[in-house]
Amino acid sequence: MAKQSLSFALEPRASASFDDYVVDCAWSPDGRSFAIAGGEGKVALARAEGDSLRVDTIGEHLLGTLSVAWRPHGNSFATSGQDASVALWDGASGQEKKRWKPGVTPTQALSFAPGGEMFAAATGKSVTLWSPLGEKIHAFAPAVTSAASLAFDRPGTDLGVALNGELAVHRIEKARYETRRYKWPAACLTVNFSGNGRFLASGMADGSLHFWNRSTGKDSQMRGYDGKLELVGWSDNSRYLASSAGNEVVLWDFSGKGPEGTRPIVLNGHTERVDSFAWQPGGDHLVSAGRDWRLTMWRPAKTKQPIDVQMLDSDASVVRWSPDGKRLVAGEKRGRLTVFELVAR
Amino acid sequence: MSVTPSRVPVTVLTGFLGSGKTTLLNRILSEKHGKRIAVIENEFGEVGVDHQLVIGAEEELFETNNGCICCTVRGDLIRILGQLMKRRDKFDYILIETTGMADPGPVAQTFFLDDELKTQFQLDAIVTMVDAKHFEQHVDELNEPAEQVAFADLVLLNKTDLVDAAALERIESRIRGINGTAKIHRTKNADVAIDKVLNVGAFDLQRALAVDSTFLEPEYPFEWGGAYQLTPGDYLLKTAGEHDHHAHHEHGPDCDHGSAHDHGHDHDHAENGHDHDGHTHEDLDVVVLPLTAATPEALEAAIEPAVRAFAEAATVVPCHGTLDAAPSHNAIDISHPGADFRLTIDKAGAYALFCEHHPLEFGLHLVGQRPAAERRFASHHHEDDISSIGISDPRPLDPAKLNQWLDYLLKTRGQDIFRMKGVLNVKGEDRRQVFHGVHMMFDAQAERPWGSTPRENRLVFIGRGLDRAELEAGFESAVAK
Repeated sequence: MAKQSLSFALEPRASASFDDYVVDCAWSPDGRSFAIAGGEGKVALARAEGDSLRVDTIGEHLLGTLSVAWRPHGNSFATSGQDASVALWDGASGQEKKRWKPGVTPTQALSFAPGGEMFAAATGKSVTLWSPLGEKIHAFAPAVTSAASLAFDRPGTDLGVALNGELAVHRIEKARYETRRYKWPAACLTVNFSGNGRFLASGMADGSLHFWNRSTGKDSQMRGYDGKLELVGWSDNSRYLASSAGNEVVLWDFSGKGPEGTRPIVLNGHTERVDSFAWQPGGDHLVSAGRDWRLTMWRPAKTKQPIDVQMLDSDASVVRWSPDGKRLVAGEKRGRLTVFELVAR
Repeated sequence: MSVTPSRVPVTVLTGFLGSGKTTLLNRILSEKHGKRIAVIENEFGEVGVDHQLVIGAEEELFETNNGCICCTVRGDLIRILGQLMKRRDKFDYILIETTGMADPGPVAQTFFLDDELKTQFQLDAIVTMVDAKHFEQHVDELNEPAEQVAFADLVLLNKTDLVDAAALERIESRIRGINGTAKIHRTKNADVAIDKVLNVGAFDLQRALAVDSTFLEPEYPFEWGGAYQLTPGDYLLKTAGEHDHHAHHEHGPDCDHGSAHDHGHDHDHAENGHDHDGHTHEDLDVVVLPLTAATPEALEAAIEPAVRAFAEAATVVPCHGTLDAAPSHNAIDISHPGADFRLTIDKAGAYALFCEHHPLEFGLHLVGQRPAAERRFASHHHEDDISSIGISDPRPLDPAKLNQWLDYLLKTRGQDIFRMKGVLNVKGEDRRQVFHGVHMMFDAQAERPWGSTPRENRLVFIGRGLDRAELEAGFESAVAK
């Protein structure tokens, strides 16, 4: 008897339009709601129940919302904007609970610790830790350069900050706040801890991908990208490191001896630039989308060909999986939001 | 499938501390012009803080290529502008203010080097504000003020009400010496029509490159020439003194304050608080020579003998000394305010006076006389190590050799060349080739056909320690044989 092989596809479930450019979305832990950051400044809350999607605009950051992060295990989220403020919102009512300005420059990036007990904000050259109620926990000494992005590692013991010329990794555990620096003479744009904790990767402004082995400190560099590398992400099982600076998604395979000296897997399925991709939590699907209006799903462990393609209504700006890895929202530059469900076929 | 929207023009506003950038920004933001202008501000809190279109930024330099200054960009701008692109209703203009001590190079280079920004934004012009009151002091003490002027497409000479006409002439001439091609607007309290500052199109290759024609003229050893009709007698050539400083307003019948004053004059410049360091011209080279008539044409005809006279060794003429009304090279000592020199005219007729610098800079005038014709000449006196060099030549260029030359030039001198621009006559090409660059970043394209206009190369280089002979030799190597 032939072994049955399950194949998956994305099915559009519900869509709605939002009167702004969708910069980013952040799902609630239960996968029923997501918060939306708008390029012209709107902040919205979307509720996705079955086949309906309701989007309510709940507030604003003048000149543009830059970042949105939902608190893990909680029912609130944080946003930051070009107006230099950070705001906290109630995830059920959509009410703004607190708003303040951590500095004179805008807060570029926000990230919640995996346990939800704090979030980090990168404001110009300063990185500060805040409680979910907006009380200051700790301010790190200002760096020489501004932070482009930040991320916690999976256990929440370390906070990585992408700076010009280095990744700074602050030990958060037990409020020790020691800092380890991974230097490379270019502007680091992303900071990506592998889920297994072994590697730390960064996309660079000089069009390279860099990664460090965290136990040996050994660093490696991958070149050949078309331009600055802003899209980098680890698969949930830490096997693949995906990256894109153009029409292709480039995967480095970290199984076995690792990717050094090997050729990457190149996923060809887009005719224009990819502006967002996301690995499935708890699974091995990768979804990419961008300027060719295509939402493409891949399962690189099985095939280099797309396993599903859906057409959107305009340029895609962001794709985000729900925490359970069963649903996905695609946001478009013209404001349309579509929720897809992963189905077996 | 992406639609490329028209690019948003970006104006870079530089200027030393106190030059009036903030006043200008506030003026632009508060004026009713119906434009949506976003301001990226670098000196915090100075521009109306509550204004919704102001974004704070901290200047941050990113080296994209091993510390080469020509490949340095502003990381903060890439982030902020990248975010501003996420709008469906675009701004009409973006205005970027730099800090007083900033080098405008990286800001401009950001728009050449970043692929994403290039598609969305068009560098419109670099506008430099100059504080007329303090420019001379700052430019002598620091590098930044001259560099900011060197990068400019437009200079706003501000606070003109705080200095006299002679100082304005002197400053303008100094600005010209540094940057021969920038437009200069004189302003008080940063009051300038908004359309003079925004949408200038200085980097737009489609618009004709406005290269000042005076600048491309051959350089003369003098900046000014005037033609006078004189009767026999003694005349006094005199600079503005402490007691007749109004004299330069009007060259009319001059009261003789100077002679009433004791010429033991204790020139205590220091009391003015600006006894600064050596840029006061102690000697001024002048030539007086007879003309056929006191007309512009006759003055034109006298240029050649004047140049010859300037090429001879100069005779130093002390204060109260006598000048010859013959083509000889005099260096008059004008270290003291109110210095005067006698000019004896034996024969009635027209005479020309050629001066190394514009006479207004010193309030120099022929007492009681007014020139019947006068003309300014391209300045070539570079007090500053930053200067402009122009090349104008009709011969067609060989494209391969031209590339070779420019390639070599930018590799070896790119750090010293702040700006370059030009129109080129390339062999076998019916259209004008236009180009402009900031340091080593370089844009070039074919523009409209030459048609019936005479084909000519016009190139301008602005930079530090430029060597005319080297540039001319390089140009020569690119001429098609």
